Amino acid sequence: MENVGYTSDQKMSTNAKESLKLTPNSKGKKFKKYTAAILLLAPLLLFILAFFVVPMIYVFYLSFIEVEGLDISNASYSIGNYLTFFSDPYFLRSLWMTVKVSVYAVIIALILGYPIALTMAKSSARMRGYLTLLVASPLLISVVVRNFGWYLLLVPNGVIDQFLMKLGIIDSPLKLLFSVEGVVIGLANSFLPFMVLSIATSLYNIDPSLEKASSILGTSPFKTFLTVTLPLSLPGVVAGIVLVFSMSMSSYVTPALMGGANVPLFQLSFMSKLIRYSAGHLVRPSPIFYLA
Amino acid sequence: MIASDVTIRGVSKRFGTNIVLQNIDLDIKQGELLTLLGPSGCGKTTTLNAIAGFLDPDEGELFIKGKKMNGVPPYKRDLGMVFQTYSLFPHMTVYENLVFGLKVRKLKKEETDSKIKRALELVKLTGLEKRYPRELSGGQRQRVAIARALVVEPELLLLDEPLSNLDAKLRHELRAEIKRLQKEVGVTTIFVTHDQEEALSMSDRVVVMNQGKIEQIGTPTEIYQNPQTEFVFQFIGKSNRFEGLVKSVEDSYANIQIDEGWVIRTQKENIIGKDRIYHTQDAVNLYIRPELISIKSVGENLGVPEKEIVQKRAVIKQMNYLGSQWEIEVSINGVHHLQVIGSSIEDSWSIGTEVSVEWKMSDIRLTKK
Repeated sequence: MENVGYTSDQKMSTNAKESLKLTPNSKGKKFKKYTAAILLLAPLLLFILAFFVVPMIYVFYLSFIEVEGLDISNASYSIGNYLTFFSDPYFLRSLWMTVKVSVYAVIIALILGYPIALTMAKSSARMRGYLTLLVASPLLISVVVRNFGWYLLLVPNGVIDQFLMKLGIIDSPLKLLFSVEGVVIGLANSFLPFMVLSIATSLYNIDPSLEKASSILGTSPFKTFLTVTLPLSLPGVVAGIVLVFSMSMSSYVTPALMGGANVPLFQLSFMSKLIRYSAGHLVRPSPIFYLA
Repeated sequence: MIASDVTIRGVSKRFGTNIVLQNIDLDIKQGELLTLLGPSGCGKTTTLNAIAGFLDPDEGELFIKGKKMNGVPPYKRDLGMVFQTYSLFPHMTVYENLVFGLKVRKLKKEETDSKIKRALELVKLTGLEKRYPRELSGGQRQRVAIARALVVEPELLLLDEPLSNLDAKLRHELRAEIKRLQKEVGVTTIFVTHDQEEALSMSDRVVVMNQGKIEQIGTPTEIYQNPQTEFVFQFIGKSNRFEGLVKSVEDSYANIQIDEGWVIRTQKENIIGKDRIYHTQDAVNLYIRPELISIKSVGENLGVPEKEIVQKRAVIKQMNYLGSQWEIEVSINGVHHLQVIGSSIEDSWSIGTEVSVEWKMSDIRLTKK
């Protein structure tokens, strides 16, 4: 920076000097601040440590043990379990399908969710309240009940099929239930609220005068959306994607009800394996635990 | 119509049942800096938004450079605007912020760059092109916002309370700078503020607004010295008020009874408002600005006061030192409290000291109650 010949710059540099001078003092203060934070967080951290971190580490450790029969004293350490897992095409296929289904669910939730979030951001405070309630309302209903609702709609010759056949759009029933489509519909529906609310939150934080500024500079509303609103809402979009993706990856009830045996998602194959082995056997520690 | 850059004819605007603009007529001349001044809710921002195109008037017509603008969206109006909250695009550097408005105008790269360079020189921010808004101070941000508005060479520059988020010293500095810039560039500018000092110090003309109506349009001196309505008088500057009754009316004078035994004589032309005819027994308010009153020690001037001067004994109740001036409160007969602003005091004065206050008869303003 070359031109320093003006007051605001000078003011900034003196401010910088002052803050440098304050460093030793503020360090002490910072330490105090952190102590308080740690004390406040301690109960939660201990809980997570005892019931999440420790078991996870233990399972991770177990995944390297190979046992012959039931005798643990014979245990040897190897990555054999991982090799078994990654060479089993059935598991790999189900893992891939899980990723695929989750990505589809994310895309659908994003396409449906963004316009809703945008509408919420543009409406008055009161309207926002109503819309938030509406968007969150699916969360008030149990997953099982909600999926049985979809079941009625999607089942072959169910409501949707009959409606579309009456209109003459399709001739034979769509195979929506017990298919990838069914699972994606179910997942997108379940997790849409998380997508909408995280995008809406980041849209709320955009200063409305930014759009005015863009408009007055000669930019059309659509271009303003692309160059100003969309980039500034990206943190919310990313948060929504992460939430919906991870929840889809780990959801069990929806894939079980909507996909059944036709869509052998990872979670399902894991559960069936678990149930099969636990009948009489010691559960074979496997990487599958860790991945699941 | 061509002579003025902006012509507003009979513009009204309602929000629900709330009338925010009532039949506004306004002509803004080429190259002038015009201020819309008024308390919050007076309609000044609504007027600016109507000019910018963020809202359409319910009635009336709006012309910019002779072209009718009703129904034309803001992005087709070719204007520049600076907002209270700076409104720089936070995800863009200073350069990108400035280039934003030029992109639509499809210029060559060299032309764009030279325009941006000139705009940054104008606001004295050369060398900060690569900074993000968050890396700038408040004053610098507002300078970038001004540069962004000017770089597109707009037909009009609209300033929506651009200084109200800055601290007092910076506000002063930028005030002078905006004035300089505006004259240098010569762009017709509409400035919205609720700060009368800002309005008086910066503008070529001031429009005082209240409750959706224009109270007065005039140069800063006209507004301050010859307010046309009671609202303008009370809104601009401070004033001391006495209540009184018209005792008698002469050719060009009125005698106003303030108290038992205290009659103030004043010219009839000091009456504010259109209705300048007063009758005996009319109840009136009599005003005098604090800086137009002078205080003298008793005994210093005990001669007969000049004909055109009002003189009265008073007691000092309070003395506040404000740095460049003194604010003194005095009481006349123990009932009338007056605020006086003066540049100096005498050593002998303290609370309780008896002094003499005086002001010119022509400095008095009158309104009907």
